Amino acid sequence: MKLTRILMAFVLFALIGATAFATGTKEAAPATGAAKPLRIAVVMPSSTTDMAFSQSMWQALQIIQKEMGGASALELKYSENMFIVPDAAAALRDYASQGFDIVIGHGSQYGSSIREVAPDFPETVFAWGTDVNNFGLKNVYAYTAAAEQGGYVNGVLAALLTKTGRIGVTGPVEVGDAKTYIDGFVNGVASVNKSMPISKTWTGSFSDVALMTAAAKTHIANGAGALTGSSQSVVGSIGAAKEAGNVLWFGTQADQASLAPNLTVASQVYDWTGMLRDIIANRKAGKLGGDAYILTIANGGLKIAFNPGFSIPADVKAKADAAITGIKNGTIKALP
Amino acid sequence: MAGMIQQVQMTGIVKRFPGVLACNNIDFDLHAGEVHALLGENGAGKSTLMKILYGMYQLDGGSIAIDGAVRRFHSPADSLDAGIGMIHQHFMLVPTMTVAQNVALGQSSDKKFLLDLKTVTERICELSAAYGLKVNPNDLVGHLSVGEQQRVEIIKALYRGASIIILDEPTAVLTPQEVDDLFIILKKMVKEGHGLVFISHKLHEVTALCDRITVLRDGCKMGTRPAAGVERHELIKMMVGRDLKELSHRDYKPGAERLTITDVRASGDRGTETLKGINLSVHAGEILGLAGVSGNGQLELAECLIGIRKVDSGRILLDGLDIASMKLNERIAKGMAIIPEERMRDGAVNDFSVQDNVFLHDHTDKEFRTGIFLNFKKMAAHAKKLVGEYTVKTPTLETPIKNLSGGNIQKLIMARELARKPTVLIAAQPTRGVDIGASEYIHQRLLMQRDAGTAILLTSEDLDELYALSDRIAVIYEGTIMGVFLRQDTDIQTLGLLMAGIRPGDAPKPDLPIASCEG
Amino acid sequence: MMNVFSFDVLSGVLRTMIALSTPFLYAALGETFSQLSGVVNLGVDGIMLLAGFFAFYAVFLTGNVWLGLLAAMIVGLIMGLIMSLVSVTLKAQQGISGIGLQMFGLGMSSLLFKVLVGTVKTVSGFAPVKIPLLGDIPFLGPILFNNNVLVYGGFLLVPISWWILEKTTLGLKIKAVGQNPAAADSVGINVNRIRYFSVCLGAVLAGVAGASLSISIANLFQDNLTAGQGFIAVALVYFGGWSPVGVLGGALLFSLANSAQLWLQVLGINVPASLAVMLPYLLTIVVLTVAVNRGKQPAALNKQFFRGEN
Repeated sequence: MKLTRILMAFVLFALIGATAFATGTKEAAPATGAAKPLRIAVVMPSSTTDMAFSQSMWQALQIIQKEMGGASALELKYSENMFIVPDAAAALRDYASQGFDIVIGHGSQYGSSIREVAPDFPETVFAWGTDVNNFGLKNVYAYTAAAEQGGYVNGVLAALLTKTGRIGVTGPVEVGDAKTYIDGFVNGVASVNKSMPISKTWTGSFSDVALMTAAAKTHIANGAGALTGSSQSVVGSIGAAKEAGNVLWFGTQADQASLAPNLTVASQVYDWTGMLRDIIANRKAGKLGGDAYILTIANGGLKIAFNPGFSIPADVKAKADAAITGIKNGTIKALP
Repeated sequence: MAGMIQQVQMTGIVKRFPGVLACNNIDFDLHAGEVHALLGENGAGKSTLMKILYGMYQLDGGSIAIDGAVRRFHSPADSLDAGIGMIHQHFMLVPTMTVAQNVALGQSSDKKFLLDLKTVTERICELSAAYGLKVNPNDLVGHLSVGEQQRVEIIKALYRGASIIILDEPTAVLTPQEVDDLFIILKKMVKEGHGLVFISHKLHEVTALCDRITVLRDGCKMGTRPAAGVERHELIKMMVGRDLKELSHRDYKPGAERLTITDVRASGDRGTETLKGINLSVHAGEILGLAGVSGNGQLELAECLIGIRKVDSGRILLDGLDIASMKLNERIAKGMAIIPEERMRDGAVNDFSVQDNVFLHDHTDKEFRTGIFLNFKKMAAHAKKLVGEYTVKTPTLETPIKNLSGGNIQKLIMARELARKPTVLIAAQPTRGVDIGASEYIHQRLLMQRDAGTAILLTSEDLDELYALSDRIAVIYEGTIMGVFLRQDTDIQTLGLLMAGIRPGDAPKPDLPIASCEG
Repeated sequence: MMNVFSFDVLSGVLRTMIALSTPFLYAALGETFSQLSGVVNLGVDGIMLLAGFFAFYAVFLTGNVWLGLLAAMIVGLIMGLIMSLVSVTLKAQQGISGIGLQMFGLGMSSLLFKVLVGTVKTVSGFAPVKIPLLGDIPFLGPILFNNNVLVYGGFLLVPISWWILEKTTLGLKIKAVGQNPAAADSVGINVNRIRYFSVCLGAVLAGVAGASLSISIANLFQDNLTAGQGFIAVALVYFGGWSPVGVLGGALLFSLANSAQLWLQVLGINVPASLAVMLPYLLTIVVLTVAVNRGKQPAALNKQFFRGEN
């Protein structure tokens, strides 16, 4: 019947659309060439273009692919927007059973899934973060970022540069690297000026951009001259800073300068390439896991990307560099 | 009024629905200044024929001519434009809107897209004065009585300039007084040159109001008679196809008190108190009729008696035993039987077979069990016996009950309930929506049961039926009993006034001024 | 710590409330029209997303905010036509088709965003326009009369909707179709046409709501930008008892609660953040329980209309 057919078409249409969003599985490149390429799959909670956590991992993987000589040497596959954990667990198991060599669960919520799947595929390398617990499994790596270190540096910069003497912090939920980053940031501010007022808001959502925007605007209305924050929804805060025109932004997880080229001072960038190279090399040598990686400034996993579009006074830059050096050689503790 | 339709001629009308020939070559005509009745049982094709004239259904054969010109109506809007209006059995009103808004709905406004309620209100007041249609244009329709809502429907039709008005069973929902008022209005409309079609199955109304009577049966026209001098039994014979048995005169010898209702109070669905202290008693071997306009508490009382509504206070005694807090199956075990008002909701399981419906309750009886198993042989035999005894027309015992006609379902429910030989029977509107033939049978059965010594509480909105069957009649109005009378001590007129809340000797209610139409 | 009850704080809370309430106003007023005609459109969130994306994309390409608004309205109209076709003409279950539309909008906006834009980028959206004289009123001026065009539009829509519903023949028809379609049909009103109109009007307004997120509040687009606001808008229609003024009250109350909780946190008042973010939802539930609006619900809501059945 015609009517039923139209209905069916509509439902299919909707399902296709939904699938495009929910799983977003993409083959970065087809595997070609004679030599069997290395195969890596990653499952992520947000999109590869979130300007934050997921994007940082996807970019790192692409850099590694280029280094290794393109798709013929390294095949990449990802599942994004896997905010439903059971779906993510199914995806992890799928990738492992499809014979991927390295399977990454890029989100602290995937820990229990990794713990469940990894023992069934002892030949496959699993990695997950951010956490430090590899469950004592020989084929699991845990990884995390010492986000407080970049937070500390950003805090020093913010305290020195804010023109209003007031700073605002916008976060999603008080957990994980969102929390450690902000703790480090507060500590960095305090190292410059112990009495400088910092207000914090938590919106309760990783994705509610409108509320994050409103939160940032609230800080600005309350006199904040510098803002920072983490999660994929901070793009809303950056927009608010840009609209105000004179409020500085300090980024984390990825280089966010492109969103507010005149106002972004610096971003802490997660660089997973070193860790990925290490995991690949270990695998060749026959070691499938058992370690925990922590990205730090000292080991090059964390980088402070100063925005070339924003000119930092020389004395301020010097103090920031001093903080970086201090953290590197251990004379400064990022967390109190 | 200029441009009034003088004559409507429907010729050879045929209308088919899947599996049914609803109208089989029917001729019908109507002149200005007359009331033409369409008489027939349920499903005779009366409403279908008129919905064709009103443009709601499309005809499969035949033609319609208005003042000699052949017309075809594709929608109600077409017929309305031609001057034909219809008052439906279920009112086509929006309860959340005022009278004026309902009348204005779908009308073009003098102020283009702006609502012009002022003009509409003025015009309503004019019509109201001209035809004696008392309504307040600013009242919310949902707050009006059924009779008032019907007046709004008539005003709607007149407002649209309808000169021919079809009334589909207009008296079914009215009290006798409201029926009288309606007839006065209708007679006034006829005098003004309107032509009216009056659909009904009530003989006495038809003969009192109409000029000509056309009788339909099973989609066929059985004939047209002038109302003056027509014999009642002739019309019945045309409708039913045979003569009805007259209800014989009966001796009234009440026995012991079986059911005693003492100061029962209960709340309605909306939480307000609907039963405000009911006192009634029913004796063995009598039918106590409960008269009242629907919505005055009779439904709630019946529900209290069968145990599906909570009694807030008061006592219900069955043979001296208080059953007010008993469950339904306990009441049945104590000798109560029920013919519920909503037969398809409370009396039967639509998708179950005829046989299963017979055993909705009695499947736990030892007689139909072997140990823990049902004895299907015995059950089938019992069901077959009942179906035969009560002349239930069903293809097989396995037919789902929903495929049976209303009359046959009601007969089956009755068979099931009466087979238990109850001491008390609650019969709520047992003939509602049931055609004359089946009604007659149900009446006979109720009387047989009475003669066998059962105490019967009967509710019905058909006052004639109630008066004909009952030994005593109680009138309920707004949750209180206005009085209980022996049949021979009262008449329909008095009962009608009581049903409207007026006691004999009360000063007549003054006509309330209609605020917005004054000055 | 600042004085919590200073004029500055109050003014800030109210300004944030006004900004946050705008998308709710458009979406919920639109849904009010749709529901009054008898159609529950649960696809509001999806319409907001797809229209929000196209608004963003048009501004991203041309820099013209008006073209962005136009794009959002066109997308809303198309989505409204799809919804009407499926639930009015084809008489599908409204709940199912609405959820279908929502999933479609969510997935499609995400896909197009990835393909056409790639990564988060900001645009300059509608800029605040200060209304002369009124904008200079102390305290109230900056709150009420220094906003952008979409904000003014959202608030103007409240009296306009009320006027259409109460004072025009169209409004009468919409309500009649939602209360008793058979009655409306019997007086020659085209029930389906009125429902198409109301659903499409609602969808166009949902489109504007999406635009107000992407080119007025956030000035960017991102996956699932609405974060479920469309569903809250549907709830606000119930909350407001199907009246524009009620919807306004609900939108303001919900936004006020959200704005107040943000300010509570900014001012450093020591409430756990997780409790503060619950405040708007808690308040909504409390008000919904206290104010029972069931009686006002259009009687034919969520029911398909077939002629000739009563």
